[in-house]
Amino acid sequence: MIGIVMFFAALALLLSGFPVAFIFGGVALLFGVFAEGPDIFAFMPFRIQSIMQSTTMMAVPLFIFMGLVLQKTRLAEQLLEAMAKLFGGVRGGLAISTVLVGALLAASTGVVGASVVAMGLISLPVMLKYNYEKSLACGTICASGTLGQIIPPSIILIILGDVLGIPVGDLFKAALWPGLLLIGAYVLYILIYAFLNPASAPALPIDRNISRRTYYGQALKAILPPLALILVVLGSIFAGVATPTESSALGGVGALILSLLYRQFSWKMLYEAALETVKVTAMVFAILLGATAFSMAFSYTGGDYIVEEVLTGLPGGQMGFLLLSMLAILVLGFFIDFVEISFIIVPILAPVADALGIAPIWFAILIAMNLQASFLTPPFGFALFYLKGVAPVSIRTTDIYRGVVPFILLQLVVLVTILMFPGLYGLV
Amino acid sequence: VATLFNPAQADEKVYRLKMAETWQTNFPIFGDAPRNMAAMAEKMSNGRLKITIDSANKHKAPFGVFDMVRAGQYDMGHSASYYWKGKVPNTLFFSTMPFGMTTPEQYGWFYQGGGMELMQQVYAPFNLMSFPGGNTGNQMGGWFQKEINSLEDIQGLKMRIPGFAGEVLAKLGANPTNIPPGELYTALERRTIDALEWVGPGLDLRMGFHKIAPYYYTGWHEPATELQFLINTRSWEKLPADLQEILRVAMRTASYDMYIQNYDASATAWAQMKAEFPDIQIKTFPAEVMTALKGANDELLEEAAAADPLAKQIIESQQNYQAKVRVWTNISDRAYLNSLSD
Amino acid sequence: MMLLKLERAVNRVSDLFGKIAAVLFVLLLFNVFYDVLSRYVFNDVSIAMQEMEWHLFALMFLLGVPFTLRADAHVRVDILYDRLSTRKRAWIDLTGTLCLLLPFCLLVGWYGVGFAHESYLLGETSGDPGGLAYRWLIKAAIPFAFFATALSGLGLALKSVNTLRGQSMADIQGNHP
Ligand code: NA
Ligand code: NA
Repeated sequence: MIGIVMFFAALALLLSGFPVAFIFGGVALLFGVFAEGPDIFAFMPFRIQSIMQSTTMMAVPLFIFMGLVLQKTRLAEQLLEAMAKLFGGVRGGLAISTVLVGALLAASTGVVGASVVAMGLISLPVMLKYNYEKSLACGTICASGTLGQIIPPSIILIILGDVLGIPVGDLFKAALWPGLLLIGAYVLYILIYAFLNPASAPALPIDRNISRRTYYGQALKAILPPLALILVVLGSIFAGVATPTESSALGGVGALILSLLYRQFSWKMLYEAALETVKVTAMVFAILLGATAFSMAFSYTGGDYIVEEVLTGLPGGQMGFLLLSMLAILVLGFFIDFVEISFIIVPILAPVADALGIAPIWFAILIAMNLQASFLTPPFGFALFYLKGVAPVSIRTTDIYRGVVPFILLQLVVLVTILMFPGLYGLV
Repeated sequence: VATLFNPAQADEKVYRLKMAETWQTNFPIFGDAPRNMAAMAEKMSNGRLKITIDSANKHKAPFGVFDMVRAGQYDMGHSASYYWKGKVPNTLFFSTMPFGMTTPEQYGWFYQGGGMELMQQVYAPFNLMSFPGGNTGNQMGGWFQKEINSLEDIQGLKMRIPGFAGEVLAKLGANPTNIPPGELYTALERRTIDALEWVGPGLDLRMGFHKIAPYYYTGWHEPATELQFLINTRSWEKLPADLQEILRVAMRTASYDMYIQNYDASATAWAQMKAEFPDIQIKTFPAEVMTALKGANDELLEEAAAADPLAKQIIESQQNYQAKVRVWTNISDRAYLNSLSD
Repeated sequence: MMLLKLERAVNRVSDLFGKIAAVLFVLLLFNVFYDVLSRYVFNDVSIAMQEMEWHLFALMFLLGVPFTLRADAHVRVDILYDRLSTRKRAWIDLTGTLCLLLPFCLLVGWYGVGFAHESYLLGETSGDPGGLAYRWLIKAAIPFAFFATALSGLGLALKSVNTLRGQSMADIQGNHP
């Protein structure tokens, strides 16, 4: 009961505009201490230490730094502009380029904070510069930043594999087609939206004075170096040089090398990028610190039992069960983070799914898609906070909320196709 | 006043203990041990002893169990003694040792050979009691991308192998490497590391390592990994004598049950792996490597014994017991298995 | 004037943490890079260097939190906040700091002290071969960072009070070079 009140209290206080991280922390304190006494906070240092030692999270600052260096040296801008130019007069080119770059980053990290923030730094300023509609720009970034959850390697898939007892490699393979379909759906949506609303995503101006050949030639020349950098990051994982987390450091150092090659490097630039990295990273981790206090107070005051009760009461029937469990996960995803869902909720659902003859891999992919959507769902979707944290002041929270809605719907559509036609994806 | 001394009423009092486990919710086998123990204790006590278990996803501190039980945030813990090596070096000896005793031998040491007493001696200064908490049996030596044919192959071997066994390998020139569990699969597949050790078929199967590494080496470094029940001494002393006894029996029974459960799970999982991937090759390190590893192990133990008198006492107790019990193992189980044609 | 000077002094401390964290980040970047290079090229792994990665990483983001608070870069949901007057915003920041931020940071910091102290008494080290010793130092970063954030929160409270009194840092900018 306290858990539910806590949730609504946090929701109401968020509207005050006080920093999100300290609202989570403060609400946890008020309710936790009220219900259990101050000693409940003796658990906090342990939880904080877990975050400090989660080496996969190191990808967050490292990717942010790479994004910042690419941004400060204008290499990112050139990359996206050049990519968009390849689309010629087609509208929405920048947004599509953002999705594609996001997909590439997604293939090297599975950490949402890392890719959303990096994409926010890299592509938001460019889209705004070309007068993209704010909500479209924000939605595109959040959606492509969360692609990392479904495109392998991904933390969600690793955890789900562990919980459901499916080898990680099998899950990685199974997630590939749904991930690609999702990318396709985003691109298609952007094309259609831009076609219907010309002002929302203008095509980049074409320079009439140069030949088509030079035009595309110049574009390719601008694309290659930063694209090569991203491919090196990916390649280092495939070649066994680095783990996914370490690859992000190669990206950071690689970006510095690029800046040297382009004579854009200066100590001032390095210092500013580092200081900015600290700021953005601290923003992300402050939310995680606040959220861990919140989930601590939530579960130690009995919240986890409420959740368990609701779930054990789900009715049977294969489709009925799948629909209801997906709905339950989506709703819970509003306020419980995906690790909790994977470890607490999935084990409750898994035996039922098994008894109903639902293939574990199918079930896992459905859950992963669903959890990906939960990063985007207002008001508590972490991707939204992260983008807000790096966006210029002209971007308001409502722009972000409005922007993600169509992308959430797209994810639901893809989710439904997986639900209806698992055979197409080779999941059964 | 009379009711105060009514034994029937005193019996009704329900004692509740909170336990933190190192494992995630529903973690198979390891997590079954504390769950079975709690269920047994509750039944045997007719509901007077209720133990609730918080998994790592609730307390978020898998390796904080020692501290949390010590501080009384939890009454009990389920974990493994060698995880506390960095805090209290002598806790290392109560899980398993490379080249040490097998599971029945080690249970012999715990219950008949003075092991339990030494364990309490190590834990007592920290306001803790420790009990055996379930045994994995012999763990496999790990999954290797390359074959080990000589000491040279160990040179520069990049292997995920934490703790004391990592130190032993490092002495021969191997490179123990830290890789977060979530990245182990990718790291082994892409050969960022050459090898890794996990547990045994029962728990390795779900990690999928058998799909990406050709060699499965037999064990040497964890012949009898014993998990652990930790209890805060104050929480223990609050229990009436009968509940203490019920708890003791439940822990001991659950430990033995887990040993059997994992033995069976390993056999079943191995059959499955072998059927799906008939090309997996079971390998054993060559004698040259085993001798060198044993030498390195002995050196490290000598260093530990020289540094601390209690460590010396424990190591000697283990070595003496092992020398005695191994003679029996050799003429019983080993002789029996050797005498069979396969 | 007194409160403004106090605010300025507190801000300087928070800024210093940001600068230290920026240096720590650059060290982290090259630490990870070095570890990859030495493993892949020279086939050499140092557990101490690998552990140094998360030490730098943790210290970096922990010290970053007070700095980010001072830089007003923690995420706010601005649906209503944007439309409020400066005075109303100052009231929200003051109340939020006193009722939510300060109690949270001080309580976590308080328990963090015991946490680090335990580790110091045990002489805790890494359990892995060649790992780092003095684990209490990195554990002590928790109370340190939370107290630092509380201090930075005090800066925010002072700023709000000064705003409500109709004063701002700009009033004393001329007082120092
Ligand atoms: Na990914
Ligand atoms: Na092991």
